[in-house]
Amino acid sequence: MAYQPDRLPLTVVGGYLGAGKTTLLNRLLAEPDGQRIAVLVNDFGEVDIDGRLLESTTEDVLTLANGCVCCSIADDFATTLDTLRSFADRIDRVVVEVSGVGQPDKVAQWAHSPGFSPDGIVVVVDPLSIQDWAADRYVGDTVVAQVTCANLVVVSRTDAASPSSLKTAEAWLSRTTDATVLRSPVPAGLLLGPMPRRPRPTDGRHGSETDSRDQNHLSLGEPGPTHVTVSRWLDGPVSRSSLETWTKARPSGVVRAKGLIRVDDRPDERTVLQVCGPSTTVAVDGPWDDGEDVVVSIALPGTPRASLAKWLNLLR
Amino acid sequence: MPARRAPPEIPSRTSTDPYWRVSLARMSGASPDGTPTTIFPARIVHTLDPARPTGTAVAVRDGRFLAVDDPAALVAIYGGTIDDSLADKVLLPGFVEAHSHKDTGGIWQHTYVGYEGRIGPEGKWWPGCSTPESVVERLREADREIDDPDEPLLAWGLDPIYWSGERFDRRQLDAVSTSRQIFVIHSNMHLATVNSALMEAQGITPDTMAEGVPRDASGWPTGELQEPAAMFLAGKPFRSFFGRLRSDESIRQFGRAARNVGVTTVTDLGTSNLLEEATVRQWLEVCDGSFPVRTAMFHGAVMYAPDGDEACAAQLVDLKRRSSDRVRFGNVKLLMDGSIQGGTARLRWPGYLHGGPNGIWLIAPEQVADRIAPYHRAGLQVHTHANGDQAVEALLEAFEKVQTTHPMPDHRHTIQHCQMTSPGQYRKMKALGMCANVFANHTWYWGDQHRTITVGPDRAARMNAARTALDLGVPLSMHSDSPVTPIGSLHVAWAAVNRIIPSGEILGPEERISVAEALRAVTLGGAWQLRMEDEIGSISPRKFADCAVLDADPFEVDPMELRDIPVWGTMSSGVLHEGAARN
Repeated sequence: MAYQPDRLPLTVVGGYLGAGKTTLLNRLLAEPDGQRIAVLVNDFGEVDIDGRLLESTTEDVLTLANGCVCCSIADDFATTLDTLRSFADRIDRVVVEVSGVGQPDKVAQWAHSPGFSPDGIVVVVDPLSIQDWAADRYVGDTVVAQVTCANLVVVSRTDAASPSSLKTAEAWLSRTTDATVLRSPVPAGLLLGPMPRRPRPTDGRHGSETDSRDQNHLSLGEPGPTHVTVSRWLDGPVSRSSLETWTKARPSGVVRAKGLIRVDDRPDERTVLQVCGPSTTVAVDGPWDDGEDVVVSIALPGTPRASLAKWLNLLR
Repeated sequence: MPARRAPPEIPSRTSTDPYWRVSLARMSGASPDGTPTTIFPARIVHTLDPARPTGTAVAVRDGRFLAVDDPAALVAIYGGTIDDSLADKVLLPGFVEAHSHKDTGGIWQHTYVGYEGRIGPEGKWWPGCSTPESVVERLREADREIDDPDEPLLAWGLDPIYWSGERFDRRQLDAVSTSRQIFVIHSNMHLATVNSALMEAQGITPDTMAEGVPRDASGWPTGELQEPAAMFLAGKPFRSFFGRLRSDESIRQFGRAARNVGVTTVTDLGTSNLLEEATVRQWLEVCDGSFPVRTAMFHGAVMYAPDGDEACAAQLVDLKRRSSDRVRFGNVKLLMDGSIQGGTARLRWPGYLHGGPNGIWLIAPEQVADRIAPYHRAGLQVHTHANGDQAVEALLEAFEKVQTTHPMPDHRHTIQHCQMTSPGQYRKMKALGMCANVFANHTWYWGDQHRTITVGPDRAARMNAARTALDLGVPLSMHSDSPVTPIGSLHVAWAAVNRIIPSGEILGPEERISVAEALRAVTLGGAWQLRMEDEIGSISPRKFADCAVLDADPFEVDPMELRDIPVWGTMSSGVLHEGAARN
């Protein structure tokens, strides 16, 4: 069967003016957790990249030594996606900044374009001003709609806000949106989620992430202070019924999960599982690519690994 | 102090004084440097210049109006040759379409399948497709005319809303061709319908998860693609559709479409990226002396200011110096909100009658003043799209701020569309020195929908309030926003004069204006807003010799027949451009 190249995951980052989008994007570019991220911004002027990191600069594209690139959305979005496709082999994923009054869910629709796959809506909020903006006569409905459509909300300025104002903002968020609320700084791996089959930078081939994985095909990942990762490799197609059970059994603490698997009723096709905050999607994106069936989950620090392992083991 | 000399006595016309004969001889036939004069007799000339409202001939020299009078008087004074070709025509100053877009012409490269019959820029009559079958038939004809089997069939104007209940999807298009990719964009430009061949070639399947891709009972996408992100799934045919609109031919078709309806000055309101040298060169090259219209180009600064507004303004100031008689640069277009009929305009209380959510902001209100300021300070004109009354409110706050911190006399910033602008807002516009370009055609094209669906009869009756704007002293122009509605200033004037809607009712009779006021708005009114009032907009000495050449007198016909007046064509800089014969 013909090799099916991975679609580039496309994550949308929205939030009202001054919410902290640029700070978050600058951090992603500076600390991409080993991923080669293409960040699309509305205005180059706001991007703050350490000059030592800059490898090359053209009118529309900044290339960084860590493999990331930053592009401006200068023309219509269709053209921008065409440009991105031209260096799809050099990047792992795409992050798109939405303008302050933009609707992230509308921009996210572009992620269904050939060569891309939707990978979540992140909305950044400033805990000190979000409730005022939500009541603004001009933009109140826009701000609320942004927060409502988010899968993940990142609360910015956690250093400037007092514990009580953070709590107040988070209480308002939990009343307003189903999104999973995270406090900044959020590491790239948690915010953007896993790359189940990262191409090796050296030869670009797809393969298992670790060759020395244990026989039960479960990897508990590296212990870390920022998030918990558990992966599971499957031996073959799983049943549709187990998949349906799995989608309803997400343990609390899970922020993201991604899987590339086969399902018994469509064994020749690649089924993509995606969890981003409260949203779970199951989609077929093409013929099976002869890679490995794998699911990776990422959860907040302190989430018991056993609960993640149990969840992934539901797929059978 | 030197003694003041008495002015020479002015000789009377019958005088035999040699001074008179000498001066007459000097002026005879040509300017002192020999430039020829042409006299165009006409049935009547309406100059729209109150100092000399009518005549029966115009004298033209150097591409400019020399004088208006009767033919004999003009010959006696200026000599020159008589061109009798307009002798039975009615001359008005060339119409100024102060809100149009370049795609007005280029879209006709694609097959038209709209409900209303329309005339293409080359004069071809496209009968309306009033049934799904007639769309299929039209597309079959187009399919037969394309030799290359790999070339997609591209069409526009589809409006299934008129076919009460009959679905139109990929299956009808499959009846046209099962092998050629077919891409049909709807009249609102927000939807497209494609055939199975296109879906197969572009990988649109039941697994396509995208929003805006509805499915039928079998789980297959119906072929409808909603909004640009979904339309983009149509791949190459989608790109070809819009790519062809950027061709030189597309600009030429724009000129022809304008000429056919008596328009001599058009605008490309923010559709082109003028920071691209190639775009600028293309317009300067295509719009040469033989091009029938002048074009005021507006840079779309919402989409195209990648290095910020200060840098963009500086570039546009440089670009302004490259303006020619045919192409004017140095203006900026901004957008506040969406459209009322699309539910995306920003409305004040009580919002939409249909109860839908309020619309969208294309610029954050708190940023508007900062975005306008760089262009304002640079002396550039800012024309801002604002349909809903809340969008106008936020915009007025911003302009007040900018005018307070950086007062600029005679800036002529203009609010485009102004569809729901209230009397209070018009007063504020007057106080701030702003102009209104009102979307008069909307009353005809969407009046019924506004009455019954979007805002209800009371607010609909107040929409596009040209009367109020004039009474409050706000400089007024009116537009078609072509290709959103067909280009044609007589139609725009007709809509404002009659305010009739398709169901037959008069929508807000109090807001009607007179024929004279309407014609002034689509000539001098537009000229003022483009800062060209001393060059175009009336038939006055020294102005460019730009005329609309009509077969009937708009001041004599029944106002209800204003839009039906046949247009012969135009004069542009003294050169005649006959409109395309209808075929």
